[in-house]
Formats: sequence, C-alpha cells, structure tokens
Amino acid sequence: MTVRDLLTSEKFSAISLPDESREIRNVYIGDLLSWVMGRAKADDAWITIMSNVNILAVASLADTSCIILAEGVTVDETIKATAMDKEINILTTNMNIYETAIYLNGLL
Amino acid sequence: MKELSLNILDITENSVKAGATLTEINITETDDDLVLTIMDNGCGMTPEILETVTNPFTTTRTTRKVGMGIPLLKMAAELTGGEVVITSKHIAEFPNDHGTVVKATFSKKHIDFTPLGDVVSTITTLIQGHPETDFLYIHRINNNEIVFDTREIKETLEGVPINTYEVIKWIEEYLREQYLQIFS
Repeated sequence: MTVRDLLTSEKFSAISLPDESREIRNVYIGDLLSWVMGRAKADDAWITIMSNVNILAVASLADTSCIILAEGVTVDETIKATAMDKEINILTTNMNIYETAIYLNGLL
Repeated sequence: MKELSLNILDITENSVKAGATLTEINITETDDDLVLTIMDNGCGMTPEILETVTNPFTTTRTTRKVGMGIPLLKMAAELTGGEVVITSKHIAEFPNDHGTVVKATFSKKHIDFTPLGDVVSTITTLIQGHPETDFLYIHRINNNEIVFDTREIKETLEGVPINTYEVIKWIEEYLREQYLQIFS
C-alpha cells in the first residue's frame, strides 16, 4: 500500500505530500521522539500526536513513509514548508491512535 | 528521552566533543523548578552556528555535528512551560575565555515534566568514557547539595587512572551514598 492509497479513504487528509508513491510496509506508534528515533523502521507509517518540528527530523532519520497525526492534530505553516522541503509526507486523521492502528491493520 | 539524565549525557557529550577540559553539570532544584546548567570550556560556537543548534535540520544526517540533543532538551523543557537558553563564546573570537553554556529550565509541577532519573549512572558513564577530561558535578535541592569534582579525585588517585573499574565502582557507590544521606 502506498501513501496515495491511504488518502483514497476519507479518514485521512494530506498536510504535506511531497512523495505520495512511498510504500507503507509497517506501522510504528510513539510520541517520545528519542524513543521513536531508534525504533521506527524505514517504510513505516508512524502514528503520533506530537506536532513540533522535531517530528520531521525523526521521520527523516528513520526514513518512515509518512507521519500520521492522530486525533485531528495539525501543524503550523513553517513545519508544513519544512516537511515539503525535506520531502516528508504528513497526513492527519480524526481517529485516535488506536482506531488509526486498527484501520491500517485492515489495509496492510 | 524518558529521563532528564539521558539528556544530560547527550549534551555533555557535545562538550567533550568540543574539546572541553572541564565541564560543569549543575542541577539546582526548588520545590517548583529544576534548572539544569551545563557549562564547558570547549571551543564554543560561532554566532551563526549558535543560531541554528535548536533546529534539528542544522546539518544533514551524515555530517550531523550536534545531533538531536539540543532540540530534544528544548522540547522537554518547553513541554513543562520552561525554556532552553544557550550562550557560547567561540575560540576564534575569545581565545582565552571560550566555551558554551546550556541552561534548561523546567517546571517540576507540570504534568509533562520528565523525571531526572538515574543521574548517578550518567555521571559515572561520563567519567568512565572520558577519563582525560574533568567534570564538576553539583546537585542542589533547596538548601542541600552534592558536589563531586573529578580534579579532586584525580589528585587523590596519584596517577591511578580514574576509569579503573574499582575507582568507577567506588565513585558510583559514593554518589549513591551521598544521595541517600543528603536528599532523603
């Protein structure tokens, strides 16, 4: 499944989408960024509620396929611009983290 | 970081990498606040670098110089309503008085305050990994304090390396004992 496929569901909307063809192979969940940094894997969809600029660095280091902001969390314009610049996909959903994980499990 | 002591480890490693011969780690606590100050006499940073250190994209992945240490410390402090202030004097401009001061303020009563954690392990890890440099560790809680200075220990050791297993073990036990006696 690609990030583009995920967006065909009305449950998700794109905040930044520089590379919608990225494959999603697995899912990682976590909000403690230093923890996520060492554990999220390449091509994971990473579900979090954190929204500061550091999430972009973590996604970039771990090479995740996208960041999924749960609970309707969104980011400011500066972060959006940096995400485009660093080629990091960010989606948002109104589902909570558990619901998002269940939903993705059905698709993978 | 799950514990502030891991942030301390990260930031102090920056000081050692900057060539510091002495790094002071100072934790000052009141009932409401915790102020962490890490002061070194390393090469310091130019104003241009200093301006960008809190940005996690300062450098690329392969040439990363400061790592995520400062961005994560800043986030941890700001989550509690605190802040991080960094001042630095670069060796090129201050040949006799260079170094960096990282000062992080935390509000201990905030629900997102990260506990200090096992700071004794952090200190002993630093001493063990960097026997050639000196550390001055000060932890104050209200009117009580613990002070540990590797320069004093080295003087007593008379040439025995400070990172000898027995010495490190002794330092760890000594610090743990101090914590039991002074802060309990």
